[in-house]
Amino acid sequence: MNHSIKINFQGWVILSTLLFSVAIPSIVFSDDIRLSASVDKNQLTLEDSIELSVTIHGVRKASNLELPPLPDFEVRSAGTQSSTQIFNSDIRTSTTHKYLLIPKNLGSFVIGPAILNLTGTVYKSDPIIVSVEKPKSGKANLNKNVFIETSVSKRDPFVNEQLIYTFKLFRQLEARNLNLNMPYDESLFRKEDIGKAKRYSQIIDGITYDVEEISMALFPLKVGKAVIPPSILELDLIYRTQGNRRHDPFARFFNDPFFGGSTQSVHKILTTKQTDLNIRRLPEEGKPNGFKNLVGRFAISAELGKTSLEAGDTTTLTVTVSGTGNILDVILSDHDLEERFKVYPDQPTFKQTIHGNQIGGEKVFKFALVPYSAGDKIIPPISLSYFDPEKRKYNILSTSPINLTVKPGVKDDTLNLVQPESMSYQRNGSSVSILARDILPIHTQLNDYENISFNNTDRAIYGIGIVAPVLLYIFVAGYIRYYHRIKDDASYFRKQTAYNIAKKKLYKLSLSNTESKIFVRELSQIIREYIGNKLNLQGTAFTSIEVEKKLTENCFEQQKIISVKKLLQKCESMQYMPVATGENSELIDESVYLLKELEKQV
Amino acid sequence: MTIQIKILLCASTFIFLFISNPIEALEDDALMKIVQANEYYHEKDYQSALKVFENVVAHGHNNGYLYYNLGNTHMRLGNTGYAILNYLKAKSLLPRNENLDANLRYAISQTVDQLNPPPKGLISGLLFWQKSISLDEHLRLLIIFNIVFWSVSIGLLYYRKPPWNMLKNISMGILLLIFASTGTQYYLQTNQKTAVVLKKKVDIKSDRGIHDITLFQLHEGAIISVDAEYGEWVNISLDKDKTGWILKESIGH
Repeated sequence: MNHSIKINFQGWVILSTLLFSVAIPSIVFSDDIRLSASVDKNQLTLEDSIELSVTIHGVRKASNLELPPLPDFEVRSAGTQSSTQIFNSDIRTSTTHKYLLIPKNLGSFVIGPAILNLTGTVYKSDPIIVSVEKPKSGKANLNKNVFIETSVSKRDPFVNEQLIYTFKLFRQLEARNLNLNMPYDESLFRKEDIGKAKRYSQIIDGITYDVEEISMALFPLKVGKAVIPPSILELDLIYRTQGNRRHDPFARFFNDPFFGGSTQSVHKILTTKQTDLNIRRLPEEGKPNGFKNLVGRFAISAELGKTSLEAGDTTTLTVTVSGTGNILDVILSDHDLEERFKVYPDQPTFKQTIHGNQIGGEKVFKFALVPYSAGDKIIPPISLSYFDPEKRKYNILSTSPINLTVKPGVKDDTLNLVQPESMSYQRNGSSVSILARDILPIHTQLNDYENISFNNTDRAIYGIGIVAPVLLYIFVAGYIRYYHRIKDDASYFRKQTAYNIAKKKLYKLSLSNTESKIFVRELSQIIREYIGNKLNLQGTAFTSIEVEKKLTENCFEQQKIISVKKLLQKCESMQYMPVATGENSELIDESVYLLKELEKQV
Repeated sequence: MTIQIKILLCASTFIFLFISNPIEALEDDALMKIVQANEYYHEKDYQSALKVFENVVAHGHNNGYLYYNLGNTHMRLGNTGYAILNYLKAKSLLPRNENLDANLRYAISQTVDQLNPPPKGLISGLLFWQKSISLDEHLRLLIIFNIVFWSVSIGLLYYRKPPWNMLKNISMGILLLIFASTGTQYYLQTNQKTAVVLKKKVDIKSDRGIHDITLFQLHEGAIISVDAEYGEWVNISLDKDKTGWILKESIGH
């Protein structure tokens, strides 16, 4: 009974403590607070890492721990562990922060004290001295469980020549969490991956290593010295501690990683040396015209889909370039074909292949050809020049000419010649591929939707536009002719102005209140002057008989001649006899009428 | 100002206000419809857009851009034949429009036969600029150079100097060329009819009868020349060797 009470009491204490510590996590037991730091080893190489553990005793979940500055190490957090221990009524709590320190430099370094500031009180850990040494190199590798190495296929390649950069991991132990970084300068090299990593076994001095090999092709872009930086591999090596279980029949079973207890993981960072290269310039001697920096070994072939077709039909020319080297840089132009064919180049396709340890492949160019005219045609040879780095000389390859017969088509020559706009872009060398074609959008400018029907108003306007200038020209031409004649021909001028002058004078005479004799004399003078102007006679001193004669000679109507003669005789007679003034207006009217009649005759 | 002049001015104003307004009102109505149809098109309601565009055309509105939009609408509806027909109508009014050319090319490329508009003969070839200028533009140019020529002629009457004579000869030459070009254009538009096959596939017969021999077949969107019409039948040609008869209902022009 007592025993049960004791257990009951202890249970209550534990439960209360747990609840208390959970409810007030940052509780401080000020008497026991201290800070300690430790490392798993004080001597290491550049290939190793050390685990720094900073433990805060007496405090749980203190978040303001400050690590010292560690410029010679790369610091990675490796997690946090908390523990609470109860010894009778004594409760000890601690929190351990773990860090992985990866050395950057050689030498002896002091890991300064870590600092914890708790409500104004500063706690410090003790400093730790660690020594970083050079990893053992050369054949010493052979004594190691794991080592890496890199190699290049050539130390002095030509510019654009393919270079194989190989990384190898040799290991006797199981490795996990491998992280490989193979850096290179993108301004100096173009990179192509060569397949997947190879795995094989290799015996070196009687020791069997598992080898993992990965390669990449580098194409140098610039002439001169170049460096491939060191490759870095991070990994966790798994050490298995078998102990006495070696003779245990269940040892194999319990050694399985699933049961985990017998393994130890060690983090390693392995670094290779940098690789120095001397990139050579391609020789100028023998460099062909149109050489496009192709370096390697290539072959070219051409094939025509149909060698006999009708005008307007399409045939496909397939040109295949294969080999090893910078085959992706191969460009073929269709300039020689454009004179004889409408050419529709397709996007080239590329298929990568591995030849030994060299990257290569096949680049296929397709051109749809539509002949412009019927007849026998020849597809001209297509040339490709490249530099062979093995033989150190330039080579020129050409396809064979291909004969093509184009029969006069049943179809129109213009059939199938609708050229998409996109083709012109592709031919300019752009790598933009056309995914789809569509119509251009509708027109939405409202100002452009004016009705342009050809209605009657438009017809009238166009008619006036055509006829009016002609009429204007005729009018102006007539006027100018008249103007020049009036100016140059005095008799014409007299003839043309006779009526108007006579009319004006008659009007003035009708307004004047002159004596009858003077009136009739002036009237007679006006008519004589009119006839003189009309018939281009000099002076006005001619009688009515002379007027009759002149008018008859000029083919005037006899009746009008008689009327003129009578009027003049009347005027002559009136000059010598008394005349009533009332007849003046009648004479004026008669004269005006007569002049009008004569003017019609003229 | 005399009473007669005042009356004349009032009458002119009256005519201007009350006769021109209905024309403007009709224009405004057509423009409103075009705006509505354009909106339908943008909303991808092509059937509604088609109805409105066709209604505007049916009311006598003649405009290149209207036919262009109508062509686009037909293209969206998959009516390649009607689209090409409307693009060709638009082309006669907008001969230099690049968008129209691109869409017409695209539409032709979508057809089975891929036939381009027929060539317009030797005279058209000589008057190479003619296909780039519409009939309306030809007439305007004709009037402008008619006025220029007769004005220069009047100037020559006044000044009678060699430069004026040279100017007159040059303007007369240009006027004659434009006159010939306009005449050719007018002749081609009124006499040389281009049509488009509107049905999916049509048989071209040797004579005007369903049971006559089928010489060849054409497909929707094929552009053909109409040589003669006889009742329900139309005599068409692709070139000198390929002529035949086709039912009028199968084509549009």
